[in-house]
Amino acid sequence: MQTQTQVVPIRTPEQSSGDDIPTVLQPDGTLNEAHDPKLELSEVLDLYKAMVRTRVIDGQLERLQRQGRIGFHIGSLGEEACIIGSAAAMREQDWIFPCYREFGALLWRGFPLQSYVDNMYGNVDDVVQGRQMPDHYTGRPYRFGSVSSPIGTQITQAVGFSWAAMSKGSDEVSSVYFGEGATSSSEFHTGLNFGGVMNSPTIFLCRNNRWAISVPSEKQTASESFAAKGIAYGVPGVQVDGNDVLATYKVVREAVEKAAKGGGPTLIEMLTYRVGGHSTSDDPRAYRVQDEVERWRKTDPILRMKLHLEKIDAWNEEQDEAFKKECEAELKACIKAAEAKEKPPLETMFDGVFAEKPWHLEEQQAELLSGPRAKDHH
Amino acid sequence: MASGKDKLLSQYRMMYLIRRFEEESARAYAMGKVGGFLHLYIGQEAIAVGTCEVLNDTDYVFQTYRDHGTALARGMTPTAAMAELMGKDIGCSKGLGGSMHFFDVEHNFLGGYGIIGGHVALAAGAAYKSKYTGDGAVTVCFFGEGSTNIGGFHEGLSLAGLWKLPVVFICENNQYAMGTPMSRTSPLEDLTLKAQGYGMHGDRIKGHDVAVVESHVGQAVERARKGGGPTFIEIETYRFRGHSMSDPAKYRTRAELEERKKQDPCAIAKARLLEGGVSQEEIDALEEAVEAEVENAVETADAAEPAKVENMWSTVYAPSSAAEDYVANYGKHFGGGR
Repeated sequence: MQTQTQVVPIRTPEQSSGDDIPTVLQPDGTLNEAHDPKLELSEVLDLYKAMVRTRVIDGQLERLQRQGRIGFHIGSLGEEACIIGSAAAMREQDWIFPCYREFGALLWRGFPLQSYVDNMYGNVDDVVQGRQMPDHYTGRPYRFGSVSSPIGTQITQAVGFSWAAMSKGSDEVSSVYFGEGATSSSEFHTGLNFGGVMNSPTIFLCRNNRWAISVPSEKQTASESFAAKGIAYGVPGVQVDGNDVLATYKVVREAVEKAAKGGGPTLIEMLTYRVGGHSTSDDPRAYRVQDEVERWRKTDPILRMKLHLEKIDAWNEEQDEAFKKECEAELKACIKAAEAKEKPPLETMFDGVFAEKPWHLEEQQAELLSGPRAKDHH
Repeated sequence: MASGKDKLLSQYRMMYLIRRFEEESARAYAMGKVGGFLHLYIGQEAIAVGTCEVLNDTDYVFQTYRDHGTALARGMTPTAAMAELMGKDIGCSKGLGGSMHFFDVEHNFLGGYGIIGGHVALAAGAAYKSKYTGDGAVTVCFFGEGSTNIGGFHEGLSLAGLWKLPVVFICENNQYAMGTPMSRTSPLEDLTLKAQGYGMHGDRIKGHDVAVVESHVGQAVERARKGGGPTFIEIETYRFRGHSMSDPAKYRTRAELEERKKQDPCAIAKARLLEGGVSQEEIDALEEAVEAEVENAVETADAAEPAKVENMWSTVYAPSSAAEDYVANYGKHFGGGR
């Protein structure tokens, strides 16, 4: 089988928008017409605002964790463009299967911010009833899968889901996010092979942010690139400048349209950089030099987009400040409300696994509720 | 160094030995002398023989559960192999492993493995040991085309490529993973494309000519020994028998089998010997000697003592009072008084 895989080396930050990798936003704020998805101005502004909102939330949640008000947060600082651009490229009927770094995509899908913050607090309104770590949400009504911490498991789920959609004759496409580290997991191997054999409508979105916690991408594989791994499964692989929201949108959208027409899966390596730590439990200064981070800040996806919007007189500093304040106020209100809510009732921990509760769980529940912990609950 | 003719004679002798050994294994199985499963190597002999030709005594070999041929080519005696099939104490794994779990430290044959693809990561580990200690050994790991979709394959090849380990991965593509043809499990026709995903060399040959196998595997082994990293070799082959003795192979046609039998590696080697001036009498004598060797192996194995219960502990744990206590207290429940 002939594949149209484009193989180029993994790039340094300065090379991240080379000629052989699709890029739209130019350093001078102009657009490269060849790859421009030609969106309406209102759509372009929506993308920009979603990126800014994501960053505002990231900053605030990290502070909350440092203050001990939430237990954990896993952020997307520097990766906003590849997350928002790829989520926006999915059509309404399509599904998104997350890794754990894509709350920006969740909110893009219309998931209420209050509900997301409730998840961070694990309170009574949390969609998973406080049974998971923060940032482990699920959004079925928004066609958004569940976050699970094990690396790569979502890949096989997305393949199975999209294969089922195809078998039912629907044109729903599924995208699935994972980091470049996950390409070494056996789920990647199984998922890509299955997607290739079954020609499933799956968009494999590899966020190559250069760091798998503390393992740099050059120590992850001997392969020329992560996109090149598609060759081994008969799945076309492409790279895109993941710090360019318009380029990411275009490449993912084309893959979605191809998949919806029965053209099969695509592996997309989105070149980006994890500017922050792996999560709030990680301090990257222990394993990487700050100079590297500073060089990457120059490719900042939000600054690149802002430069363009200012150049075409569609946005200015004043509007930018006002919008950030708006986001901060919205978030602050959600935090206040989330902190005022109760924890989920103790007995709910026995719900949600069995349709009818078996006798031994009934017994355990009764024992728990008659015990000393139950008295002080709430 | 053996001359070309002498080498081919010895290679033919080993291929014919494997063929006759496997035929006698099937017969012993049918007579109820062999328990468990039995997977025959008939049709694939040139791959084991051509590969073992280029290896040093200190190199390591890993094989799947279709392991008799490779173990014999590596130097295991037919008696140790046949006795293992029959669950006898003089078997290569003391009769405790059976057909799928041959093991021979003396010949650095590090095992037949029952779990599909699981041993690929073990082979990468052995190669890592060689790189780490600088012992100069190369590891060869055999597996079927079905294994290439297993997680252990992905993990083993990924690390071997990344760390440039001295290992040669040989995929014996015998067309069927049990009854499943490869077209149903992989979108690729050329499996060596997978090598690119791991940044390693790939090679693709047919496996019915022992000289071709020897030459191509030889290049890969030399590259690995010189620090040039791993190679993935796809060898096209065909098993003339079912997947195991439990498989009547109804998923393929008789015509297909007959067509493939025209590429019988033993017949090809024999024809080349005759062309090269070896007389029919010489070949007859060689085949008679092999017959006698296999017959002796069957008789010796049949008459040997069965596996010993106490070895069930001593082959897993280092000597300790706890293990001795265990045998003393619980051994009787497993027929320990026998």
